[in-house]
Amino acid sequence: MTITDSLLKVRTELEDNLRNLLGIPVYLIELDAFALPCGCSGATINIRGFTVDDIEVFEEHILKFLEEAALKLEIQPSFLFARLIPGTAEVASLNARMLCDRCYRDFARGEGKQPRPDIYVLKLEKNR
Amino acid sequence: MKLYVPHVGHMEGLQELLADPSKIHSVYMAGSPDYIGTGRTNLSAPTLESIAEQTEYAHEKGVKIDMVLNSSCMGGQQLAPEGYRAIRWYLDRLNDIGIDSLTVADPYLIEMIAHEYDMETVVSVLSFVDSPQKAEFYEGLGADTIVVDPVVNRDFGKLEAIRDVTSGNLKLLVNEACLYQCPFRYAHFNFFSHANGPGPKPNVMDDYYYYKCLSLRIRNPEQIIKSPWIRPEDLSEYKHITDMFKIGGRTHFIEWILNNVNAYYNQSYDGNLLDLLDSIKDLKDTFYIANKELEGAIEQWKKCDKNCHKCGYCKHLAEESIKIQTEDGNKKLSFIRNPEDIS
Repeated sequence: MTITDSLLKVRTELEDNLRNLLGIPVYLIELDAFALPCGCSGATINIRGFTVDDIEVFEEHILKFLEEAALKLEIQPSFLFARLIPGTAEVASLNARMLCDRCYRDFARGEGKQPRPDIYVLKLEKNR
Repeated sequence: MKLYVPHVGHMEGLQELLADPSKIHSVYMAGSPDYIGTGRTNLSAPTLESIAEQTEYAHEKGVKIDMVLNSSCMGGQQLAPEGYRAIRWYLDRLNDIGIDSLTVADPYLIEMIAHEYDMETVVSVLSFVDSPQKAEFYEGLGADTIVVDPVVNRDFGKLEAIRDVTSGNLKLLVNEACLYQCPFRYAHFNFFSHANGPGPKPNVMDDYYYYKCLSLRIRNPEQIIKSPWIRPEDLSEYKHITDMFKIGGRTHFIEWILNNVNAYYNQSYDGNLLDLLDSIKDLKDTFYIANKELEGAIEQWKKCDKNCHKCGYCKHLAEESIKIQTEDGNKKLSFIRNPEDIS
């Protein structure tokens, strides 16, 4: 299976899972794999119709779905987060990111679910 | 019937669009954002040379050219000496080129163009003319044509009143498909105007208004039905108001635009209604609404008093007509609202 086949399959599966969980036709508008100059890599899932309330109520299930999706894309699900439109309930994207050392330090220093107004941390595995 | 058709703004696009010009009365496009911006997303910034070349080509095909300079906010630059001079210089050039009409939103520009130029002055939909009083006001400024705010597309009493008090032309935008009584309308168009105008341009993180617009419909799909689009089949219901219909969609592929031209010209479309709608194009792969199944809904909307909380017609119609597109076919809206129904 090519990377694009995997992206297509995972997009559909995750969308179905979230729709069935929430009872709302949330829309995964685009699933992208990315690599950044700093060394971070991962996947961004742009989503519409999805809110912070949905995450807070169904966080355990959503985390499980996102971990499964990340693994199917061969992304170690060590850092999973939602990107919010700051100050609103709207979730712009779900993200699975394998952090480079520098970005890891930036994120690991943060505390709580929202270390930044635009980030809601679903999972961050901290190094010992 | 006269169809006013969006054009992406470059010569190749125009040639494709006008391969068969028989169904198109006029095309419209934005100009250079360096002078007057536009209130919607725009993909091209044609030079004056290109506009001249395209105007000549359209005229050879017997099609008129309309320039859409409809910023809803110019930050007051139009009233400053240097802004005024730049705008006047640009309008002079467009006039020299032989542009047929200018669509503008700012009342000052409407009066200026009406008084100073021979080009037809068209009041943009972004002037939000939704009442006979506003229509009279703009006609008093010298407007030749008013593109009526689609918010009253299904309010025939208002449309008839606007028709009664105006002596100029009325044009209806058929497929904009913004939310009915959208709370983001002014803020969103002002944002676009700055993003697609002379600058300074905002470096935005996300288009909150658009995300929220989609989100509201995904979470409450009856908003798609309430949105005041006009089905191609229903154009004849408006013949006592006007015969001028504008199709929205400057950022779409030519094929999409031509599909709309054919649908509205033939007054018939057998397919997903969302194929035709402009502002919510991103939802066409999520929802399926068989256009033909909406036959007759106009009869309800003709007598609609807009008290949705007492009526429920659009809510019921949404439940009946909106399907969710899935890998294994289209499912009724209730499919995901009642997951136990999954077969």
